[in-house]
This record gives sequence, structure tokens and C-alpha cells, in this order.
Amino acid sequence: MKIRFTVNGRAVEQDVRDDERLLDLIRDDLQLTGTKEGCGEGECGACTVLIDGKAVTSCLVLAPQVDGKDVLTVEGLAPGEELHPIQRAFVEKGAVQCGFCTPGFIMSTYALLSVNPDPSDEEILAALEGNLCRCTGYVKILEAVHYAAELMRQERN
Amino acid sequence: MRHYVKIKTVQELLERIEEPGARILCGGTDLVVKMRSGAIDPQVLLDISDTENLRGIEEKDDRVTIGAATTVTEIIADPVIAGKLPLLETVLRTLGSTQIRNRATLGGNLVNASPAADSAIPLLLYQAEVNISGVRGDRVIGIEDFLVSPGKTALTSDEFVRSVSIPLSQIAFKPFFHKVGRRKAMIIAIASLGALVSMKDAKIDEIRLAVGSVAPRPIRLRELESELTGKAVTQSLIEEAKGAATNAVSPIDDVRASADYRREVIGELVARVLRNAVQG
Repeated sequence: MKIRFTVNGRAVEQDVRDDERLLDLIRDDLQLTGTKEGCGEGECGACTVLIDGKAVTSCLVLAPQVDGKDVLTVEGLAPGEELHPIQRAFVEKGAVQCGFCTPGFIMSTYALLSVNPDPSDEEILAALEGNLCRCTGYVKILEAVHYAAELMRQERN
Repeated sequence: MRHYVKIKTVQELLERIEEPGARILCGGTDLVVKMRSGAIDPQVLLDISDTENLRGIEEKDDRVTIGAATTVTEIIADPVIAGKLPLLETVLRTLGSTQIRNRATLGGNLVNASPAADSAIPLLLYQAEVNISGVRGDRVIGIEDFLVSPGKTALTSDEFVRSVSIPLSQIAFKPFFHKVGRRKAMIIAIASLGALVSMKDAKIDEIRLAVGSVAPRPIRLRELESELTGKAVTQSLIEEAKGAATNAVSPIDDVRASADYRREVIGELVARVLRNAVQG
């Protein structure tokens, strides 16, 4: 079936299978391979993207369900060659080890900071509870989210 | 080849619900997993996530009605829910993760009919009713009769859940909820217990207890509730209640925990409810 939606601000018209996952649409059809598949069951958060501003695991969404919606993937954050402040914060604070979980963490962070520019530790942990890092770099991830919030506040001022 | 249909109206849903191999799809957080594992093989997916009149929260005539396709995130964010049905908000905050709560719906959690369904606990305690629509008409049934056994509800093949309605005139209860699992997020409960307690003249005036993951469906502990009503909370009552709770449940051994452990946990949680009720 044919669906129309926007991905990273770009209008897309795409033929999809009726039971195709959003994750496969993003990675295989659109070749946006920043989004990763971890568990494929919604447990790990590696495939997190935003639909209409809300973080979701794209492995549990069917492609036809995003017809008419606005999808944001990790590729949509940085406008050009320069990194988004959240990406910069993850790099500068060493919140990336093997990197496989990172796009998911960054998208969950983006969803959080869009509605809460100065979150507490507790709020960050709640927003990131659906993302797993098997290198267990959670302390640095927490630092990076605080730092990203600071960078984004500075940018706005 | 599976066929996907975006359902626009309740009428359209009623027209298609009995098609061979049809399944209702909404958030997909349970259904897509089961579909991919091969546990289910739907031929027609009826997506109700954008169906008119199935989503939203309405307060009217001292009841709040939550559309079946309302997401858990939307329920948590609702000021009426947080203000008047605090236990529903507390429990739903522990359901899945942020990503799951953004997709998962109240109707979905109920029709999935897991013995561990988190939303069932507050709905049992608040004595919710399930509004059902079907080809052969509409009906309303209490939440206790709606949940039957693992994966099974009172729905017949021509029916779907339209909404859940909860009375708002609940007396001032002290709420309690505890879910036992290996981590705080994304857990399927090993055992869970929710309670609403009101005290009068240092005695238990009313107590409601609901437990999850320790029976074929989430249940109220009705017998224990009536045994405790009117009693003062003493150490011996706590011990008695612990024993009674342990015997009132019928858990199984599974990958998450043993039946014996689950019995112990429920006994301990009932003790906590009682201790909590007399503290401050």
C-alpha cells in the first residue's frame, strides 16, 4: 500500500507492505541506517524514533500506521555537518562506548528535552528507562543529558 | 499476505470485525511482538489508533470515561485522573517504558488479558466498568467479570471494548501499590499488589486489595477484605492477614519466579499495606 508521511522534515511517498515495520521502512526502504534494531520486541530502545514528537520503538509500529504522521530519526537532528547539541554532549562527555544504543538514547533525550529543558536526574532516568546500554555507560549518559540540556539552553539565549 | 485497514469510524469497525482472521490493532506493543513470534497470525489488521470516538478522556455525571484507544501517556497526563484517581496514575507510570506508554493503550492492556496486566489493578480497586460494543448490541460489564483467564476476556468475536468508565465518588482512600520485578522499568510483574484503605476510629473502615501475576487473572482478595473490615491493625492481625493472603492466591512457577516465592511476596505486601495504613 502507498503511504504519505514526513521524515526529518521531508515529505515522502512510499510503497510499503501491510505488515512492514516502521523500523524496516526507515532502514531498508529509506536507507536511514542510524536507527538500529536491537531486540525487536520493544525492550531495548535501540530503534527509538519520534512520531509527532513522541518517542516510540519503531520495531513495534507498523509502517502503514505512520501515514500522515511526522517521523524524526537521528539523521534529522543535525542540520548539516555540525552536530546537534545532544550529539555533541554525548561525544564530549564520553557517553558513547560501542555506540549501538546511542541513536536510541539520543532520540529519547531529544523527546525529553523538547518538553522539559531542565530535567532532574529522576526525570532523565524515567525518560531513558526504555533504552538499554549493554556497555553500561549510564553514569556518563546521565551527565551527557544534563550537559545537552545546558547547551540547548545556551543556544536559545 | 496480511491486509491492513485504517478504521475511521466505529460503524466501519463493526462491519469488519467478524472478517475471517481479523484482529484489532492499536498501539501494537503486544500484538506486533506476538505476530512476529508466530504466536498469532492475523490476516486482517483493523487499526483503531485513529478511529473517531475511541480516544480521549471525558468527565461526566461523576464518572470518568477513558476511550479504549487512549494511550497510557495521555491518561497519566490527564489532570482529572491524577487528581481523583491517583492510583491509576501511579500504576500506569510503571507500565513498560516511556516508548511503550506512548503507544500502549488502556483497551489494549485489558484485552491482552495478561495475568500481569498493570492497568487491571487500579481498575479492580476503583470498580471500573467496561463499555463493550458489538454487532449484536452494546453492553456494560464490571472489570472483574471482563477478565477471565490468560489471554481470555468476556468479549465475543463480534465485540470490542469501546471505553472504560470509573466512578469518581470514591471515598478518601490511602492508596498503595507495589510491583515486584527485577528492575524498575519494563518489567512484567513477578507479583503486584494495589490497595485502597480508609480508616475510621483507628479501625479499618474499608479495604480493597487487588493482586496481579498470582492467579489466572488479576483479582480482588474479597474474602480477606471482609475479614479485615472493622478490625484494628495489630501485630496479630497483620500475621493473620499475611497467612490468609498467601492462601488466597493461586500462582504458578514460571520463568520469572516460583509459585512459593509469589505467595511469600503477596503475604509481605499485604502486611505492608496494613502497616502503611496506620502510619501517619
